[in-house]
Amino acid sequence: MESLLQHLDRFSELLAVSRTAHVRTWDPVTVRRALQWARYLRHIHRRFGRHGPIRTALERRLHNQWRQEGGFGRGPVPGLANFQALGHCDVLLSLRLLENQALGDAARHHLVQQLFPGPGVPDADEETLQESLARLARCGSAVHMLRFNGYRKNLNLQEDSLMKTQAELLLERLQEVGKAEAEGPARFLSSLWERLPQNNFLKVIAVALLQPPLSPRPQEESEPSIHKTPGEGSQALVHWLLGNSEVFAAFCRALPAGLLTLVTSRHPALSPVYLGLLTDWGQRLHYDLQKGIWVGTESQDVPWEELHNRFQSLCQAPPPLKDKVLTALETCKAQDGDFEVPGLSIWTDLLLALRSGAFRKRQVLGLSPGLSSV
Amino acid sequence: MAQDSVDLSCDYQFWMQKLSVWDQASTLETQQDTCVHLARFQEFLRKMYEALKEMDSNTIFERFPTIDQLLAKACWNPFILAYVDESQKILIWCLCCLINKEPQNSRQSKLNSWVQGVLSHILSALRFDKEVALFTQGLGYAPIDYYPSLLKNMVLSLASELRENHLNGFNTQRRMTPERLASLSRVCVPLITLPDVDPLVEALLVCHGHEPQEILQPEFFEAVNEAVLLKKISLPMSAVVCLWLRHLPSLEKAMLHLFEKLISSERNCLRRIECFIKDSSLPQAACHPAIFRVVDEMFRCALLETDGAPEIIATIQVFTQCFVEALEKENKQLRFALKTYFPYTSPSLAMVLLQDPQDVPRGRWLQTLKHISELLREAVEDQTHGSRGGPLESWFLFIHFGGWAEMVAEQLLRSAAEPPAALLWLLAFYYSPRDGRQQRAQTMVQVKAVLGHLLAMSRSSSLSARDLQTAAGQGTETDPRAPAQQLIRHLLLNFMLWAPGCHTIARDVITLMAHTAEITHEIIGFLDQTLYRWDRLGIESPRSGKLARELLKELRTQV
Repeated sequence: MESLLQHLDRFSELLAVSRTAHVRTWDPVTVRRALQWARYLRHIHRRFGRHGPIRTALERRLHNQWRQEGGFGRGPVPGLANFQALGHCDVLLSLRLLENQALGDAARHHLVQQLFPGPGVPDADEETLQESLARLARCGSAVHMLRFNGYRKNLNLQEDSLMKTQAELLLERLQEVGKAEAEGPARFLSSLWERLPQNNFLKVIAVALLQPPLSPRPQEESEPSIHKTPGEGSQALVHWLLGNSEVFAAFCRALPAGLLTLVTSRHPALSPVYLGLLTDWGQRLHYDLQKGIWVGTESQDVPWEELHNRFQSLCQAPPPLKDKVLTALETCKAQDGDFEVPGLSIWTDLLLALRSGAFRKRQVLGLSPGLSSV
Repeated sequence: MAQDSVDLSCDYQFWMQKLSVWDQASTLETQQDTCVHLARFQEFLRKMYEALKEMDSNTIFERFPTIDQLLAKACWNPFILAYVDESQKILIWCLCCLINKEPQNSRQSKLNSWVQGVLSHILSALRFDKEVALFTQGLGYAPIDYYPSLLKNMVLSLASELRENHLNGFNTQRRMTPERLASLSRVCVPLITLPDVDPLVEALLVCHGHEPQEILQPEFFEAVNEAVLLKKISLPMSAVVCLWLRHLPSLEKAMLHLFEKLISSERNCLRRIECFIKDSSLPQAACHPAIFRVVDEMFRCALLETDGAPEIIATIQVFTQCFVEALEKENKQLRFALKTYFPYTSPSLAMVLLQDPQDVPRGRWLQTLKHISELLREAVEDQTHGSRGGPLESWFLFIHFGGWAEMVAEQLLRSAAEPPAALLWLLAFYYSPRDGRQQRAQTMVQVKAVLGHLLAMSRSSSLSARDLQTAAGQGTETDPRAPAQQLIRHLLLNFMLWAPGCHTIARDVITLMAHTAEITHEIIGFLDQTLYRWDRLGIESPRSGKLARELLKELRTQV
C-alpha cells in the first residue's frame, strides 16, 4: 500500500513537471518510463475502483496533495485532483507533454511514436491510449462544431448547456471536497470566489442550486461509501451563501429576478435573507415629489423598477414563498404607518403596484377580477 | 505502382485546391461542399497515409512540398476535423510521418515543433469561452473530464429546443429560424455516426417545424440514410419513417439497397429473403401508406422489367407477409384505412386478401378462395370501372398474397370432388393474367383434364414417371416456358409431393421434367417456396416434407 502511495506521489510530481521547461532534459527513455507509470496507474484505477479501503486511501492522498500544492481553487491543478483522474492519467500526461514545446527532438519523436503507433490490433482488454486520444479529439471537435454552429445561449440560464455543465462540475467537486473534510466546501468556495470571474461564478451557483439531484456518474464504479446523497453539494452552497453576506448580496444583485425566485423557492433557507436584503434596498429609496417616483440617494442603490421586478416575480411563485413575501410586505407597510395613499411608504406603493399588475394580468388572461391573494 | 503514384499526385492537386476554397468552412456553400466530399476526402487521406508511411520526412517533402499546408488546412476545417469516421486518427498519422527523426538543421527542428503544435490543436480542438475555461480549470478539471458531459448537455439542449419549436407553433419568439435549422442539419453531417449525437439527429428528423417546404439540407438526409443502411447509427423506427417520408431519394435508396442484397445472395432461399427484408425495416415503415405506395411502385417496376420473374414475385410475397405482421403490431396506435394502401381495389377484396390463412379455419379455406376468385373475376371482367390497368392491376394485387395464391393448386388436388370453376379460373389467372377469355377457358379445360387423370392415378399403387408425364400431357413439342406448361408442371410437382404412391418415382419425374437449367431453378424455387409456406402454416405431412427437403438439397447441389 505504501509503495502504491509513493508511486502516486511520484507520478503527481511527474505530471506537474511535464508542464514546465524542465522537460527539455528528458530523453526518450524518460518519456517511455513516464508513460509506463501512467499506464500502471490507470491499471490501478481499474483494479481498485471497487475496493473501498484502497480507493479511499488513494483519494485522501490525492486530495491532500491537491490542497497542499496550492490548487484548490487557486489555479490550474499541477497534479491529479481525484481518483477519477487516475482513470485517464495517461491522457493527461500525454496532452501536457504534447503541448509543451520545450520538449527535445528525440523525446518528441519518441512521444509521438508511443502515442500514435498507427493502425494495428486493438487491445481487447482496455482502450489503448491512441483510442482514448482519438476519442477525445472526436468529442472535442463535435463540441466545437455544435458550439460555434448550433449553440445559442439559453435565456433560461438553468437550461443553458454551458451553465449546466459548469454547475454539474461544481456540485461534483463540492461533494468530493465535503467528503474529504468537513470544512472543505466552505473554504473551497471562498477561494474560488477570490480567484474566478465573479459574475460567471454567481450564475453557475444559481444554476447549480436548481439542478435535479445528482445521479452517480455512469463510468464510475459504484461503491457504497461513495453513494451520493442527493443535494449534498447544494446544501454546501446554501450554507456558504448564508455565511457570506457580501457574496449573497452580490448574488442577489447580479442575477435576474426570475432566477432568484426559482432558487429561493427551491431552497427556503435563503428566503428570509433574500427578503431581508430586499427590505434593506427598499428602505434606501425616498420619494421624489417633483418626479413622482421613488429614487435612491447613491448610484449603487437598487432602483425602483428592479425592486418592483423582484417582488413581482416573487409574488408569482407558488406558496409558501408567495405568502411569506406578501406577509413581509404587509408587515413593512404596517410598520411604516399603514398608509393607503401612494408616495408615503414604499411598501404601500409596492403593494399597490403589485395588485394593479396582477389585476391587469387577470384581465389579459380573461380571469375574473378578484382580490383573492393579490 | 507507378500508376498509383500518378493518381495520387492528381488527387493531391484536386484536394489541395478544394481545401483552399473551403478554408474554414464558414459559409453555407463551403459547408455544403465540404459535407458532400467528406467520405471521399477521408479515402484520399487514407491513401496518402499508406504512401507517406513508407517514406521518411525528407522524401515526403521532396515528393509533396506543400503537404504541411494540405494537412494544416484540413485540420483547421472544423467539418473535416469533426468527421466521425476516422478523420482525426488518419490526420494524426499523416502528421506523424512528417516528423524528422534526426533533424539536421533548425528548419527541420522548427517543422517538428510545428507538427507537435498541430497535433496538440487536434486534441484540444477547442479554445473555449475564457470564462468557462477559467472556471473548469479553477475547479481542477481538464477537458477530458467534462467534454463528454458537455457534449451530452449540448445535444440534449438542442434536441429539446427543436421539440419545443415543433410544439409551440404560435409562439414566434421561441421559433427557430429556418437558417438555424438548416445550419444545425449541416453541422450534424460529419457527426452522424457519433452515438452521443443520436438524440439531436432524431429530433431533427421528427420535429418538422412550421415551414411549408423542406428546410433541412439534403446532405443531412443522405448522410443519415447511409448510416442507417450500413447500420452505423441506431435510430428509433419513428425517426427512420420521418426520414423516408421527408426525403424520397433516401427511401428509394433503401429499396435499391435491399434489391442489391437480394440479388447478390443465394438464389431461391425464401428464409434468407425474409431475413433481409425484416432487417431493412421497410415492412414496418410501410405501415405508413405513403411509404407503402412508393415501395409497391418499385416492386411493380421490378416486376415489369423482369417480365414477371418468379423470384420477384416470391420477394413481393414475403415482403407483404412481413408488412401484414408489422401492421398487426402497429395497429394499436395508428389506423389507416385499407383504401390508402390499395386505392384501386375494392375494400372487400382487400380485406379478404389481407386475412392470414392461419387465422381462417382450415375448413373454410376453399370457401375463401372461391370468394377471392369471384371478387377478382368481377374486377378483371368489369371494364367500365375506370380503374387503371385492368387485369394486370388485379393480378399484381393478387400475387402479393402468397398464402392464398399458392394454395389454389393444393386445394384443387386435395379434393376428390368436381373441381370448382372458380378455383380453375383463379389458377389460370394466376399463371397467365394476360390471356383473353377464350384462352383462359381453354386452359381451364386443360387443367380440369389433368386433374382428372391425376386423381385417377392417385388410386393406383404402382406408377411410373412416364405415366405421370403422359397424364399431364407433357413431353409434347410445346414451349416449356409457356405459362400453361408452368402451371401443369407445378400441379404435377404438387401432386408428386402429396400422393403416397409417388414418392419413389419423384426423382424420375423431376429428371424427365428438368431438361433445362432454367426449369431446374424453377423447380428449386417451387420446392423452397412450398416448404416455406408449409412451415408457416404448419400443414406439412412429415413424409411430404422430408421428400421435399431431400429433393431440394439434391437439386441445389446439381446447379
